[in-house]
Amino acid sequence: MATTYRRKPTKAELRRQQMEQVVMYPLDWLEERSGLVGGVRYFLFRNVPSDINWMQTLGSAALTAFLVQAITGVILAMYYVPSAATDPATGRPVAWESIVNITDNLTLGWLVRGMHRWGASVFIILMFLHMGRVFLFGAYKYPRELNWIVGVLILVMGMMEGFTGYLLPWDQTAYWATVVGINLNGTAPFLGPWLAQFLRGGQEISGATLTRFYSLHMLVIPGAIIGLIVLHLYLVIRLGVTSPPWSKEAAGLEPEEEESPQLRPGLTRPVPRPAGASPMQAEPGGRE
Amino acid sequence: MAAIPKEKPSRVDESRAEFARYKADVKARGKPFYPYAMFHDTIMSLVVVCTIVGLAVIWKWSAYGPHHSPIHKGLLGPEVDPPANPGTTSFVPRPDWYFYFLFYLLRIFKWPESVFLGTVGVPTIALVLLLMLPFMDRRRARRPSARPVAMVAAVLTIISMGVLTWKGATANEALASEVVQSVPKWIKDEHLPPAAVPGVNLFARAGCTACHTYDGVGGALLGAPDLTEIANRHLGIATQIKHLNDPSSVTPGSPMPSFSSLGQERLRQLAIFLEASKGTH
Repeated sequence: MATTYRRKPTKAELRRQQMEQVVMYPLDWLEERSGLVGGVRYFLFRNVPSDINWMQTLGSAALTAFLVQAITGVILAMYYVPSAATDPATGRPVAWESIVNITDNLTLGWLVRGMHRWGASVFIILMFLHMGRVFLFGAYKYPRELNWIVGVLILVMGMMEGFTGYLLPWDQTAYWATVVGINLNGTAPFLGPWLAQFLRGGQEISGATLTRFYSLHMLVIPGAIIGLIVLHLYLVIRLGVTSPPWSKEAAGLEPEEEESPQLRPGLTRPVPRPAGASPMQAEPGGRE
Repeated sequence: MAAIPKEKPSRVDESRAEFARYKADVKARGKPFYPYAMFHDTIMSLVVVCTIVGLAVIWKWSAYGPHHSPIHKGLLGPEVDPPANPGTTSFVPRPDWYFYFLFYLLRIFKWPESVFLGTVGVPTIALVLLLMLPFMDRRRARRPSARPVAMVAAVLTIISMGVLTWKGATANEALASEVVQSVPKWIKDEHLPPAAVPGVNLFARAGCTACHTYDGVGGALLGAPDLTEIANRHLGIATQIKHLNDPSSVTPGSPMPSFSSLGQERLRQLAIFLEASKGTH
């Protein structure tokens, strides 16, 4: 290769080299100081089993729904007023009026609120479907037990987001559903009455309840969910994605489970198998 | 004697070996996440975003006219409900749809003996079982056909959640306008004295039948007891008023909300009516 450098580089080649330097310099700078570029490269170019299927997109679909909730939630928080006080001009609660204002007067406010309202349901449905997929694939088994637990916690947190967010419009349905919901929490032994008192911020549901739910809905629970999602993704990347268990080419399939091609007349695409060797041995140490 | 033949590897060893095989297989025959898996993920994410936008659009554009009107609900319900009013006299507590299964569970257990099971017991047990699943099912088998117990349990769980959600969604709500029509029948069946008439009218309008049943009418929600023969418990008017003001001071842990916003005079009328309800025989 050294011979090519004997020739004087053309102008086009020089320009190209300069351009590469300009692009690469900040990335090299960042990589040298953080290792982030290598991390992203590993994330993007790590291998996943070749037989993964569409059901395995449900997790990232749930993540997308969560991101929609985060973005629309930030926009709503710019206009929503968490106050149960009565507006002296109209005699209506301030929080309820701010919701009506977002829905009726704000440019595309109805869209942002509608996406947040219905995105919540989509998020919950996708989490349940994702959980069903993991169950069907037996993907919660060794060594992914911890990630199952993290996932269940995200589901519980997501439902708590639903419970706290439901009150914020401060309308009749929300108010009375929350009255009963908090009273139900109160029936739990030991912690129940304390929890109900804490959620209400007093004996009765009031403005104190609304600001508490606002804080929980916007800061505490989303913070916990983001932390759990980061842990969830870290474990997914570290442990890898499972093959569908019925796949003939499933990664990690036991050698004796693999039947020879002539025993499987229905199989049109036998696993390529060099004579005398198992396909697993393509990588040394792949098998004990 | 010869030594015992080589011991079968333990389950942990087998699991570790399988995971090592998995890692090696993925390295040798896998494909890179980008662009292959990421392509599918991106398409799915676009579908999700389009679905959410679509729901928001349907929500707005299928509801026409003044959106506070219950008549113009649209396909996905009204955009804005009436503002919260703690002094209201008629309400039906209704959570978001993904809590319907809990909501309906509470109708199955009766107050006060077993309602605790519905509010805390069953949900807590279900959550603990869900969290502990990987530790209860520790076999290595992953094919559904090799896990009949897990598959049957999953199908039963899905069916029961689905049925509870469906029943919760379609549970009949006792609407105040319909309940009021039963008042003359109640007065006749229960032989209510004239002193109880203001109370019975209030009872029909104040939303009590959202949870309680009375002479065959009402919601039976949250394990609320039937009030047809409540007078036979001889609680007394003072206790009834105390209970209406603050239910959990009389029945600890009661999920019933306070009705003190009705005013003490109306609570007295309700108490007189309840103490006159001696049954339909």
